Amino acid sequence: MEPDVDQQDSKPVHLILSAQSSGHPPATSRLATLSREQTRDELTAALNAGARETFEMMVGTSLTVGDFSGLPRVADYTAMIGLAGDLCGVLSFRCTAESARRIAGLMLNSEGPVPEESVQDAMGEICNIVAGAFKARVTGLADQCMLSVPTVVTGKDYRLHSLANGQRLQAALGFETAVLWITLDLQG
Amino acid sequence: MSPVRVLIVDDSSVMRKIVDRSLRQAGLELTEVLEASNGAEALARLAEKRVDLILSDINMPTMDGLEMVRQLQTVENAKGTPIIMITTEAGESHVVQALANGARGYIRKPFTPDQIKERILPLLEG
Repeated sequence: MEPDVDQQDSKPVHLILSAQSSGHPPATSRLATLSREQTRDELTAALNAGARETFEMMVGTSLTVGDFSGLPRVADYTAMIGLAGDLCGVLSFRCTAESARRIAGLMLNSEGPVPEESVQDAMGEICNIVAGAFKARVTGLADQCMLSVPTVVTGKDYRLHSLANGQRLQAALGFETAVLWITLDLQG
Repeated sequence: MSPVRVLIVDDSSVMRKIVDRSLRQAGLELTEVLEASNGAEALARLAEKRVDLILSDINMPTMDGLEMVRQLQTVENAKGTPIIMITTEAGESHVVQALANGARGYIRKPFTPDQIKERILPLLEG
């Protein structure tokens, strides 16, 4: 069963995310020629492959197929990046605090404690690279979809409201004994 | 190869450390590593000191890497210095713009130390 994207808590901070494509050239990527199902399959495959490549090359570890039932009810770290152009929406990367610290430590090649600032930085950069690797895998999208600077939210006391109002693609990937959660909320 | 002084420009401090480590893994002897978190900071560093190599991200707040490369054409300390873009934005338009503005190459994130070595060593040896 796929999880509800909304974070649950008693006094949530409401985050509203949107990505606009005004001023961009007309759609010219291959996506324009695909059916909704083909688009969903191609984008999900690209999301999984982009995340795996990112972890193999930047974290030095291989991700496995994750189980959605193994996802934590809420994430401690949520990194988000906006996409605008042929593909509009928000890509989110979520994990527990323990996984975030472990990922940052591997990226920095550090076995000791990693400063909180570096953990947040690492989460933002992982999200950024996954988004870049994802769009590089979709034919024609690299030039037709721009990325924002990433944002990182820590803590569980918030609700995420995407204004994308379109498809939601999700990937659950195994990282050591934990599960990482990547969501792509698409507009329209 | 002679020891080199490099400038690494990226808004992520973690990524700056990874690039630093990758350069050392590629066999470069680094005399000094200067860091900047955006293009404007990089221009300020280069006003003070000349470097042998500049590695820069593209997507950064305040001043992005493409604008930085454009402005570097008029910076005396950067004349002749090879610039490599290290970026998630590896679309043709970004690459063409970076090369037209004076960059000598680009490396797409994610990358391996071997890719750093392949792209950078020829520039320094030449």
